Amino acid sequence: MRTVWVVLVGVGLLFGASWSAAGPAACALGVPAIKLGVQGVASGPHADYGRQIEMGAQLAVEEINAAGGILGCRLEMRFMDDENRPAVGVRNARFLVTEWGAHFLYGTDSSGVAMALGPVLRELDRIQFFTHAATHRLTEELVAQQKIKQIVRVSAPVYQDAVAAWLFRDRRDVRRWATIGADYEYGYATWAIFREQMRRLRPDVEFVGAAWAPFLTTDFSPHIAAVMATNPDGIIATPWAGEAVTLLRQALLQGVFDRIKVWFQAMGGSVDVLEGISQEVREGRFQGKLYATARYIHNWPNTETNRSFVSRFAKRWNRMPNYSAETTYSAVYITKAAVEKARSLQTDRVIAALQGMRVETPAGLRVFRSEDHQFVYAVPAGKVVWDPRYPIAVLGELKVFDPKDYWRWPPFRPLELSK
Amino acid sequence: MEVFAYQGLIGLSSAMYLWLVSAGLTIIFGVLGVLNFAHGSLFMLGAYLGYTLYGLAGVPFGLAVLGSMAVVALVGAGVERGLLRPLYGLDPSYQLLLTFGLVLFLDDLAKLVWGGVFRIPPIPGWLQGSVSLFGRPYPFYNLFLIAVGLSVGVGLWWLFDRTWWGRAVRATASDREMAAALGIRTPTVFSSVFMLGSALAALGGALSTPVRPVAPGIGAAMIVQAFIITVIGGLGNLRGAFAGSLLVGVLSSYGTLWFPEFELFFIFAIMAAVLLVRPQGLFAR
Repeated sequence: MRTVWVVLVGVGLLFGASWSAAGPAACALGVPAIKLGVQGVASGPHADYGRQIEMGAQLAVEEINAAGGILGCRLEMRFMDDENRPAVGVRNARFLVTEWGAHFLYGTDSSGVAMALGPVLRELDRIQFFTHAATHRLTEELVAQQKIKQIVRVSAPVYQDAVAAWLFRDRRDVRRWATIGADYEYGYATWAIFREQMRRLRPDVEFVGAAWAPFLTTDFSPHIAAVMATNPDGIIATPWAGEAVTLLRQALLQGVFDRIKVWFQAMGGSVDVLEGISQEVREGRFQGKLYATARYIHNWPNTETNRSFVSRFAKRWNRMPNYSAETTYSAVYITKAAVEKARSLQTDRVIAALQGMRVETPAGLRVFRSEDHQFVYAVPAGKVVWDPRYPIAVLGELKVFDPKDYWRWPPFRPLELSK
Repeated sequence: MEVFAYQGLIGLSSAMYLWLVSAGLTIIFGVLGVLNFAHGSLFMLGAYLGYTLYGLAGVPFGLAVLGSMAVVALVGAGVERGLLRPLYGLDPSYQLLLTFGLVLFLDDLAKLVWGGVFRIPPIPGWLQGSVSLFGRPYPFYNLFLIAVGLSVGVGLWWLFDRTWWGRAVRATASDREMAAALGIRTPTVFSSVFMLGSALAALGGALSTPVRPVAPGIGAAMIVQAFIITVIGGLGNLRGAFAGSLLVGVLSSYGTLWFPEFELFFIFAIMAAVLLVRPQGLFAR
């Protein structure tokens, strides 16, 4: 009897071992799981961006795992809050790669954090897919000049903010422009690129005023008052997230929209901003003068890929996807395509697989630009409107421009940044 | 001239906001000798409670502000009695460590309870709109802030200069042992002062909710400015805190207008200039 038990146990063990070898966990890359380290800001007025990065990544991971993983390898992800601080971002990256064993990194909202991460990625020899940080220097300087090949950006950089010049080029009544700018590189670069494009398209415009608000400003009323003292026709504003909502609320209080013709809130097409100003939009308090763009907007393009993504995202998270969600979601799928082509997790092979990549994503067709590892795609700009088909305000009267017109292209010449 | 006057008036409303926060910090330091790093976190807690009562529970804005002040005052009493009191006889560094620890604790608590995402409820209907001043629309909300700030200033003056409690507080601040010998219950005075300071922080926080983002970490930004103001005014001096708030609020506003390139640097330049002339602060004796 005892012998029978031994045989039964032995057969059971053999069966178990053979099932696990032939089952769904059979990974062609020889790793227990492909590990994705994700980080973004998850605290403070900008916290929704990190949260959306996490939601986008997790949705992609769940979908890919449900469909059998990448070359049979299951995906595993870990999200960390970088607190919008370069030192924390660098510490997180080191931990994710050296302690946790991440094969790829994703996310990062702040340009400051991104620039600090660049050299560390070379040292760690891990690819990071940047999905929000917008400074042109990340790709123009660190990749095109310094050849840090481990940097790949999936999201649109600060070039996108210059779409304002194209959006308003035919508005002859808007001649005097001012900015309420974020008092750091993003704000300076946006103002510089916007002026450069506007001078080319409309030599008659004047740039009459600028006020600069440091990070985490909560009282914009002095900035609004200072800029309005210059009697601008149009204002381009770059504070983002909760700061954008605060700025717009305070501008309404000062009656700004009674006196200007247009206000361009650069990243105002972001879901958290649209949620924050929905009531004012519904009440028509911006008088149809508020315009915005983003690095992706959920109601464009009208493709099955996008509609399906928005539907699945909303079902999974009960929110509309913000751009940092879409860019991170797409980055995970771009990883899948590159790894499947490379059949390897090695940095050089994966980067080689990215060359020439044209990939259909919810935001539309993304094309890899080899000179600076930047994925190129178009995002429209439009008026902030209330559309009863959506639970929050959306961008309407959309205009799409060819990135060839308003993006910067290699060879890059240095952009002169000034306040 | 109109631009100058309008910008100054905008700066005045910013100054009143700073005053509400720095007043509480000053009172607590002036009487208890505690440099309360967690004062900004009490401001944040006040903002979150204001948001919860007004933005979520639908309590009228005025009542939500009062409710927030009451709850944070009780939290302040708990902190003073339960945490700070055992440290009064020890080196001041213990107080610094404790209050800094409270900052971390309260920030994480806010994240746990309200999440990391910012919140801004709508502006109450009666505070919307503007009046025409110097040829431009001036928000009611800013006028309301100025009125509240000045009322708090008058109220504190009356409280400290015209009431028995105020005399007891001043006596305790001046000489704790002598005050106790005269029959003043100094532990009660300490608790009540800490409650008052905490309530003022909450007042600033709750008043901010309809126009400023409520999020973890907003207290840290506020506490830096409040400390600068108390240093400018003279540590522990209420009149100094008021003057410091006016100086920082109004001059920063003019700085934004005339020297936008130096926005980040301006508040520190004001502090450096004052300290070069009066290292002890404007009103310190």
